[in-house]
Amino acid sequence: MPAPSLTGFNQKVIVGIAEMVASNNQNVTLTTYSLGSCLGIAIYDPVVKAGGLLHIMLPDSTIDSVKAAKQPSMFVDTGVPALFRAAYQLRAEKHRMIICVAGGAQIMDSGGFFNIGSRNYDALGKLFAEHGLKIQAEQVGGMVNRTMHLNLATGEVRLKISGQPQETILCKNSTTT
Amino acid sequence: MQELDDYIDKVKSLPPAPRILPELLTLLRQDDVDSDRVVKLIAFDPAITAAVLRLCNSAYFAGASPASDLQEAVTRLGFKQVYQLVAAVTGSKMLGPAQKGYGIDSGELWEHSVVAAVAAQLIAKSCGDSENESVAFTATLLHDIGKIILAEALEHIYEELVENSQNQQTPLIETEKRLLGVQHAEIGGHLLARWNFPPNIVSAVWHHHEPAGAQPHEKLAAYVYLGNMVSYFMGFGYGHHAFAMRGRTDALDILNLKPECLPDYMIKTFEQLQLVQSLVKINS
Repeated sequence: MPAPSLTGFNQKVIVGIAEMVASNNQNVTLTTYSLGSCLGIAIYDPVVKAGGLLHIMLPDSTIDSVKAAKQPSMFVDTGVPALFRAAYQLRAEKHRMIICVAGGAQIMDSGGFFNIGSRNYDALGKLFAEHGLKIQAEQVGGMVNRTMHLNLATGEVRLKISGQPQETILCKNSTTT
Repeated sequence: MQELDDYIDKVKSLPPAPRILPELLTLLRQDDVDSDRVVKLIAFDPAITAAVLRLCNSAYFAGASPASDLQEAVTRLGFKQVYQLVAAVTGSKMLGPAQKGYGIDSGELWEHSVVAAVAAQLIAKSCGDSENESVAFTATLLHDIGKIILAEALEHIYEELVENSQNQQTPLIETEKRLLGVQHAEIGGHLLARWNFPPNIVSAVWHHHEPAGAQPHEKLAAYVYLGNMVSYFMGFGYGHHAFAMRGRTDALDILNLKPECLPDYMIKTFEQLQLVQSLVKINS
């Protein structure tokens, strides 16, 4: 879903849980809140200045194929292809795509019974490997909650971690690469 | 126990005891609920009455014509639903404010609690335990009430708390115990006992990080534990090191569930986010 194209002032577009937004509107910053064990995946083509942000919740659409048909952005295997297709429609190209990933937090779980965060990340890694894609920057795992921003004018990706006052830059000046 | 009382008595901004909620819970346990008694009890508090009516007429719940009084709201929504609204109005007042000692911004603890409560309720329902749905909702809604007591003490040592959980990689309740001598689950349980909540809710809150310890109320504690976890997983966590809790299979064993059920509960909770939003904004 492309963002509304008003020009001249900065807009923040919120990407909800199990949602995806792709746009080439230079005034827009895409933001997704509440990445717990979920993953935020930001892609950006610096040449055409287009990209998108996806907030997936679960690794695999076979968990609930009916839900996946209605809401593909909920799962890694259905959401990530949809994100790339949306960016391609904005003339972004695969070989130029800069990929950033954040989220996938984990509780202290030595038995691995509640490892949804790492299963999400593993599913993503497998999918990217199959398609020859590399993650440029990531901040994944740990015990923190994250908010992720993608600035569509610059491609800069910033993170805000709950309980910490400052935002951090995950990927800077990607337009120069 | 004395230590827990001391902490509670020291707190400057202790919210008033929620009188109506424990009494409503007692009514809820009866087979044949007399709606007149429910209405009388709720009407005792004008703020709660107004909030229940406002919510009953909000986009999420509204019927064809607005409900103009409590009796109509109870008839239309049913007692369980009205109970849920009363619990939410009561909880949001206590859990809404920021808690600097945990790095929690305004509204975050409340949102976390509502998502966890909705998740716990649907887990209870899916386990075929429909008579405990409302109790699971309430216990989970209030599971972190102890944090509003400890936040004041932790505010002065926030950096120490953050550093401790980072370096030692221990769960938050263990860090609290080390730094303060008490932890939020036990103090929350003790506070609810002082407020005359029934023993099952007190015990489930007290043991929400180790449900097996809540016997004979371990099932209720397991709903709280799993609801809490689903809320964190879905990103409704807060504060520093939100995920500093131990993964315990006893919660699954008690309810005879497999770990694979968690994604399902996350999806079911996701489908209830509209309800969550209306409960989150209940006092605004």
